[in-house]
Amino acid sequence: MELPFIKEAVSQLFSKTSCEMYPAVPSEAAPRYRGRIKYDADKCIGCGMCQRVCSGGAITMDKEEVEDGTKITLTFNLGSCTFCNTCADFCSTKSIELTGDYHMIATKEEDLIVTGTHVKPKPVKKAPPAAAPAAKTEAPTAPAVAARDDGKPVQDPSKCVYCTICAKKCPQGALEVDRANKVWKCNYDDCVACGNCANVCPKKAIVC
Amino acid sequence: MFEKLINESAAKSPWLFHINAGSCNGCDIELVSVLTPRFDAERLGFKLTGSPRHADIVVVTGPVTKQSLPRVLRAISQVPDPKCIVTMGSCPQSGNVFKGSYSVCAPLSQYVPVDVDIAGCAPRPQAVIEGLALATKILKEKREQK
Repeated sequence: MELPFIKEAVSQLFSKTSCEMYPAVPSEAAPRYRGRIKYDADKCIGCGMCQRVCSGGAITMDKEEVEDGTKITLTFNLGSCTFCNTCADFCSTKSIELTGDYHMIATKEEDLIVTGTHVKPKPVKKAPPAAAPAAKTEAPTAPAVAARDDGKPVQDPSKCVYCTICAKKCPQGALEVDRANKVWKCNYDDCVACGNCANVCPKKAIVC
Repeated sequence: MFEKLINESAAKSPWLFHINAGSCNGCDIELVSVLTPRFDAERLGFKLTGSPRHADIVVVTGPVTKQSLPRVLRAISQVPDPKCIVTMGSCPQSGNVFKGSYSVCAPLSQYVPVDVDIAGCAPRPQAVIEGLALATKILKEKREQK
């Protein structure tokens, strides 16, 4: 009597399993896998861009006025997240990161909440002297600045958070923003008055 | 006597029933891949069943559309107690990107008590195995309480 495949059957008995023996053998996610969100509140400047671009509406920002500024709490609900990485892409200070941690098993809602709090100091009343560029434009202490008549941008120092989004979006590279020294500069010779900077400004701090 | 034997053996092999409540199919594919030979959830005792009356664990995917809600609730009510309800993916937990739509009834937890949430969009098969293992544990506790 001939037994077909008997050789294979016996050899398979002693061969290594082709399963991923997951709970026994731990598994790492692939590089650049987008899992649990890590939020660094110290880097955050509270511009609110992540909240605006979030398709799942997973990010909420709570503001509370405290003695030395505004207390900003950002809450990420992983139960509503698509892990698309858009918030991290748009974050100008790289305070959001999607890690390779995929173990997101929850029995209660709090397990899926990632949150962080930081206090944003109140804006300095006196505008830094370097913030006044070329001409007639800046009115340093006034709450709203007057628009130029040629449609080119003017910064409102009381609203600006120096997030640099305007400089990134400027097609001419005419804007120079220094976050550390709180300097906003516009090279009016290069500026084409497209209005992109005013459109993207999360704080509506640019008038044109 | 038999009851004890049945309880002990049932705890070792919980049967799954999968409900697609308007899912985009991402989570469904991940759940199926858990049952394929690569991840082989059957070595942990899980078995996909076709009838809610045979199930111990109900896995719900999708944002629970208005059309599917009565069917989901009917299927879940047919599962014998003790049962464990697992939501898979972000959709049944919050509605995800479908949140606020006129035809979406998420979250599921406002209709039935949900025991385990597996977050991810879609979750990795390993995360699903982990979630199901936790569901088995909860199921065992429920059986002991009964």
